[in-house]
Amino acid sequence: MTLSIAEKSYLYDSLTASPSIRPDGRKPHQFRPIEVSTDFLPSSNGSSRIISGDGSECIVSVKAKVIDHTLSDEELIQVDLDIAGERTDSPQVETLMSLLNKVLKSGPGFEHSRLQLTERYSFKIFIDILVISSNCNPASLISFAMFSALNTTTLPKLISSFDDLKVEELPMFDDYDLVNLKLKSPLVFLLAIVGNNLIVDPDANESEVCDNAIIVTWLDGKIRSPIRTLTLNNSYSKGFDPTLLQKGLKLIEENAAAVLTALESS
Amino acid sequence: MSRFEIYSPEGLRLDGRRWNEVRRFECSINTHAHAADGSSYLEQGNNKIITLVKGPKEPSLRSQANSLKATMDVSVNITRFSKFERSAISHKNERRVLEIQTALLRTFEKNIMLHLYPRTQISIQVHILQQDGGMFASLINGITLALIDAGIAMYDYVSGISIGLFDTTPLLDVNTLEENAMSTVTLGVIGKSEKLSLLSVEDKIPLDRLESVLAIGIAGAHRLRDLMDEELRKHAHKRVIKASTK
Amino acid sequence: MSDVISVIKRQSGLKYASIDNDEMENFSSDEDVPMVDIDGKSNGGKRNEAAAGEIVTPGELITEDPIWMRGHGTYFLENSTYSSAAGTISRVNRLLSVIPLKGRYTPETGDHIVGRITDVGNKRWKVDIGGKQHAVLMLGSVNLPGGILRRKSESDELQMRTFLKEGDVLNAEVQSLFQDGSASLHTRSLKYGKLRDGLLIQVPSSLVVRSKNHTHNLPGNVTVLLGVNGFIWLRKTSKMDVARETPSAGPASDISEGPTGAKSLNPTNSVSITRLEEESSWKIYSDKNDPSITPSIRQNISRYANVIKALAFCEIGLTHERIVIGYEASIAYSNIGELIEREVMESIGDDVINIEKMRGNGATE
Repeated sequence: MTLSIAEKSYLYDSLTASPSIRPDGRKPHQFRPIEVSTDFLPSSNGSSRIISGDGSECIVSVKAKVIDHTLSDEELIQVDLDIAGERTDSPQVETLMSLLNKVLKSGPGFEHSRLQLTERYSFKIFIDILVISSNCNPASLISFAMFSALNTTTLPKLISSFDDLKVEELPMFDDYDLVNLKLKSPLVFLLAIVGNNLIVDPDANESEVCDNAIIVTWLDGKIRSPIRTLTLNNSYSKGFDPTLLQKGLKLIEENAAAVLTALESS
Repeated sequence: MSRFEIYSPEGLRLDGRRWNEVRRFECSINTHAHAADGSSYLEQGNNKIITLVKGPKEPSLRSQANSLKATMDVSVNITRFSKFERSAISHKNERRVLEIQTALLRTFEKNIMLHLYPRTQISIQVHILQQDGGMFASLINGITLALIDAGIAMYDYVSGISIGLFDTTPLLDVNTLEENAMSTVTLGVIGKSEKLSLLSVEDKIPLDRLESVLAIGIAGAHRLRDLMDEELRKHAHKRVIKASTK
Repeated sequence: MSDVISVIKRQSGLKYASIDNDEMENFSSDEDVPMVDIDGKSNGGKRNEAAAGEIVTPGELITEDPIWMRGHGTYFLENSTYSSAAGTISRVNRLLSVIPLKGRYTPETGDHIVGRITDVGNKRWKVDIGGKQHAVLMLGSVNLPGGILRRKSESDELQMRTFLKEGDVLNAEVQSLFQDGSASLHTRSLKYGKLRDGLLIQVPSSLVVRSKNHTHNLPGNVTVLLGVNGFIWLRKTSKMDVARETPSAGPASDISEGPTGAKSLNPTNSVSITRLEEESSWKIYSDKNDPSITPSIRQNISRYANVIKALAFCEIGLTHERIVIGYEASIAYSNIGELIEREVMESIGDDVINIEKMRGNGATE
């Protein structure tokens, strides 16, 4: 999207004012409202859909498969991203993919033991992400959708014994009982820097004028890696004062828990 | 033969339907008002399909502009998770998908009044979230609804239906299990007429049975048209009420 | 719920929130609306005549009477007229047409629109006006610096980008329509031209009703330009805007002195702004905003933007009065950011409808 010079300078002046005045009047720490649906795909182990007020929409499916982890040491979590209208090898998709892969490897609570079934077998989780429409960087939206999907994912309950190295048997599952996977995936927050101000969850217009942006990963009450800077537009990309990073991380630390609670209760 | 009883001697199918019954059919329109000009969400049996129509709009490339009529494109996205077993490969650019896209284009090209929208482009995007047989037919229904929602002039509804032939019995609106077990025919029927805008036979089928297959198919398609029409009127009715309170 | 994020949970599978769902109840429960009979229509059009205002769907027979002229949304086959869209029937004199429920903006001559330049071409600009095709603004249809009566020269052609370039937002009037339905615009009036000092929001074009005046000064020093195409520009009220609304009889009012407004004139010039002979200066193509937009005006602009989005969310047609009522109702929410929440938007919409009813100027559709 191209904005006129007058629009950009109006936005920039508003956002850099003290306190910042966002075009939709949000507070610096306020996110846009979202709508969440979960568990609507019976053929997946978990699913979620998130729609943001501007029409951005992301659908996540979680499917599980039993694999013999003694045979190969393949990753137990595989992410696949599809953005409507983008090629799978487009820079946008590839950047996001690499980010998501890093995000899923960050921090505890996400180790392989959670997916291990028996001495021999594990669940492998396939997370498929479909972004149907997005007006600005969808990283945050994707992480929220991923969280909701994993949070409601259920897997069949194991009824055979855990120790199956000696006996050659395939894991057996209960016909009806399901267990919650209880895998908490990290949340990703997008923080835009405009002048000396920081704003969370920038919309399309705000993205056009921000000087810089930071992606912050958060899990379990703490900020984790990866933390990255990214440019959301071509025209304004200035460096930023490192003290702003401190302030930004603090802003996320203060508000991430509220987002988590809101997502969990949904 | 198969260990399932596709069609029991009592005349019941695997999911309890009779031979001439369609699956559960639920649809809504204007589901993605911010993202597209027209949109629909369709559940036909366990098929779940999102359709977005963008346009008529300025073509993204000048070379796409036709001074006599609108140019149309269809892209079908079969998600990897759409089947029970996750597919290991992406369906993008698969031959079958390209074929479906072309067939859909041909089906709708004649039914949309493209000449009313010269030098514009109409883009149709379909996302299949879940599939359970008769997908091609469901795609037609989803697109019809989204096109109407976009306000694009059409001569009539096109409703899609697939029919299987089990031995000598035609089975209406097949699901995956039935589709895999027998020859199927997909129809695109125009409105309440007996005209077909699409006929697709990809398996062997005895010619002398084709007529009975078409007959039940057309009847089923008319039923789906009515279901879509009902939903559309309900939606229109609500909009009119809303507008009258303005 | 916290003020950080609001999350709405949708139960029962993948139901999409459209007007089909819950919020309809709010509207129908306390309203006495004329029920249009929809039963018995779904059996596929086995009737002969469809009345005006009635809902029709594609392929439905409207009339077998050949006396009607067939307008938009209809087609003619074997002596009968059918609908080609889902919408309501309109009969104006002998013209029969179907007004679709939804659709892109269709330009009409005389429309006041707001658009964005997408392309600079040979003696013309392409303007995105939210229609099926981009509109055209010819170099000859704009006022250029140095007096509007001067001839356009070759050097003007070469420096078109210095007047208007890609991304620029402007308001204009639809001058004429081409054969294919696309619009040709002009800005040959001082009320049209490049827009500054504010921001653009977009709503469905059906919500903006054509009227005599589309520029309104609002309380709080904000001016709104309601483009018929659904593009809406909100800006700080300029002296020009004030002058426009003041019915000043004398041409030499002090208001036109030293204007700093959106379409400011040559500062030394003190003739009436209504006179077309007036000299246009380079200023009308400036990209510089008014330096005196205060934070409170910026906040008001944000508030108006949210109010208009709330009205659009409730599918309430936009008029000057409603925007003002909505703004007044929104003051109850001191935090402007609250206005993006769904419940708040619905409550603003209800307030506007109710207050308007109370004041008794309801059905001004």
